[in-house]
Amino acid sequence: MIASLAWRNIWRQPTRTALSLTGMAFASMLLVFMLSFQFGSYDSMKANILRIIDGFGQVQPPGYKDDPEITKVIRDPSGLIAELESLPQVTTASARANGYVLLANGERSFAAAVAGVDPVKEVRITRIASLIKQGRPLRADDDAAIVLGEALARNLRLKVGDRVTLLGTAMDGSVAADVLKVVGIFRTGITEIDRQIAHMPLDRFRETFVMDGAVNEVAIIGRDLRDIINAEPRLRAIAARHDAVYLNWGQLQPAVKQAITLDMTTASLMYGTLVIVVVFIILNTLYMSVLERTREFGVLLAVGMKPGQIGRMVWMEIIFLSLVGTGIGIVLGMGLAWYFGRVGVTFEGMQQIFSQWGLPPRIYPRMTPFRVLAGPSAIILLIAIAGIIPYRRVLGLEPVKAMNA
Amino acid sequence: MMTEPIVSCRGVNKIFGSGELQVHALRDVDLDIMPGDFATLAGPSGSGKTTLLNMVGALDTPTSGEVVIDGQSLRGMGKSELSDLRLNKVGFVFQAYNLVPVLSARENIEFVLELHGMPSAERRDRAREILREVGLEGLENRRPAQLSGGQQQRVAVARALVARPSIVLADEPTANLDSKTTEELVQLMYRLNREFGTTFVIGTHDPRVMEHSKRHIELLDGRIASDERS
Repeated sequence: MIASLAWRNIWRQPTRTALSLTGMAFASMLLVFMLSFQFGSYDSMKANILRIIDGFGQVQPPGYKDDPEITKVIRDPSGLIAELESLPQVTTASARANGYVLLANGERSFAAAVAGVDPVKEVRITRIASLIKQGRPLRADDDAAIVLGEALARNLRLKVGDRVTLLGTAMDGSVAADVLKVVGIFRTGITEIDRQIAHMPLDRFRETFVMDGAVNEVAIIGRDLRDIINAEPRLRAIAARHDAVYLNWGQLQPAVKQAITLDMTTASLMYGTLVIVVVFIILNTLYMSVLERTREFGVLLAVGMKPGQIGRMVWMEIIFLSLVGTGIGIVLGMGLAWYFGRVGVTFEGMQQIFSQWGLPPRIYPRMTPFRVLAGPSAIILLIAIAGIIPYRRVLGLEPVKAMNA
Repeated sequence: MMTEPIVSCRGVNKIFGSGELQVHALRDVDLDIMPGDFATLAGPSGSGKTTLLNMVGALDTPTSGEVVIDGQSLRGMGKSELSDLRLNKVGFVFQAYNLVPVLSARENIEFVLELHGMPSAERRDRAREILREVGLEGLENRRPAQLSGGQQQRVAVARALVARPSIVLADEPTANLDSKTTEELVQLMYRLNREFGTTFVIGTHDPRVMEHSKRHIELLDGRIASDERS
């Protein structure tokens, strides 16, 4: 009956309660939607950026990330690839070799990062093939072929069908030179990539750079980035067995990780402020309600209710109110996130900036239990903690003084 | 064999405030309330009636002296122990009824029984029974705002009696009631005293209440001026 009494007490002032509920519901709705939207945009950003070049994770020789010397290699990647692909979370593992070269066309020459890739597997890892604007992607039967970024092609005044000269240092220290036919030109929208990156068939690369079957990295992909994140301990163990190291997405794209962390920190301050403001508004309302009922609490003490029981009843009122308010907010927030998760959200005029960060022009909120429950849970938790203030006031009541209040 | 008093006050003093604002509300009060008493506590305003009732009901503790309720001294008791004592030994009827507005008549009564830990079905039966005894059959589900003043005070009496306390204390219970309702309420309390032996101490200066009193205690300036049985 104390729970029933607490519930009925909430509705003594229906307008005041409705206003409190509206405030809480609105804040919760905002938190559910914004967290789903924000994390949804991070998901898109990570997936898009990682699917342009890196993949969701990579296995590399130790130290290769910081000092990408062509001599740092995984000598026989076939066993490593087989083990990686045996994990249920990994859909494809693809070997690559990388070289920093000079690409020349006539009198024009530019530095570029050329990757030797497996044309069949790479299409499952990176989006380069789908970003080809002229010509075609690499094919399994290609040999002396190359696809390169739009800005790089423009700088070298190359078009599809032209030949480009490659000059670099082979693994044995000799000069690596080749002449390759431009079969495709891609545009990612990310300036650094479009100006520097080129792909050629892995076998031809290894031949040109005298790599004797070795590779510099194995990139992996899964159905979802979170699958790969969850499989990280096993991926690390596999890499270690092959005298290599596993690099997760954050290590591959530290700038993106830092940008997300910074954005999340700023947003957290805003969310935190919102939660605290809501909690104080609700607390003020509840404290007023407790003050108004001092006389009644005195009567309850007189008839034998213990101060702690009255305090718990008041606390129950607080919890009921916050559960109803945040419950309504969760439902509304989920509805909003579901709707925009289907149609997406566009920001007119922001596409250029978005593309630099690998974001698509339309962003889709994505709900997870954490994104839906984190904000409302914070409200409930803080209100429950703040409820100690009216609780302590009730504990201090003396029946006679309270009845004369 | 001597009957033990339900409430015993010995040398009770109560002082409110300090310095020049000090008020000596009770002065060396010695009083025994015996089982079955139907006592009225009278006196002019400020004579200490309510203060004494608060002491007798364990709502307040004396500045000096001792109050013993059913063999338990209030001295050194904490808030929780005092609450337990009130719950188990004392019933209160207030001038302003003081029912919980969001509970029905029956629930106001059941609430006290729940504090005693009584099971739900038993609570319900007991509440219905006591409401019948105070003449409120059929009004069980009405909330206080849907009852007249007299009906609310009957509910308050029922609430005070339902847990079968050792003593029922009523402070000006008829102050807000008209003559007819006052008469009905006094008859009700008198009947409960006669039939069930319930001990009543009623703070009042209403002559209609005093008429039925078997014991009349007069307070003046915080002292017991007279204590007469009829």
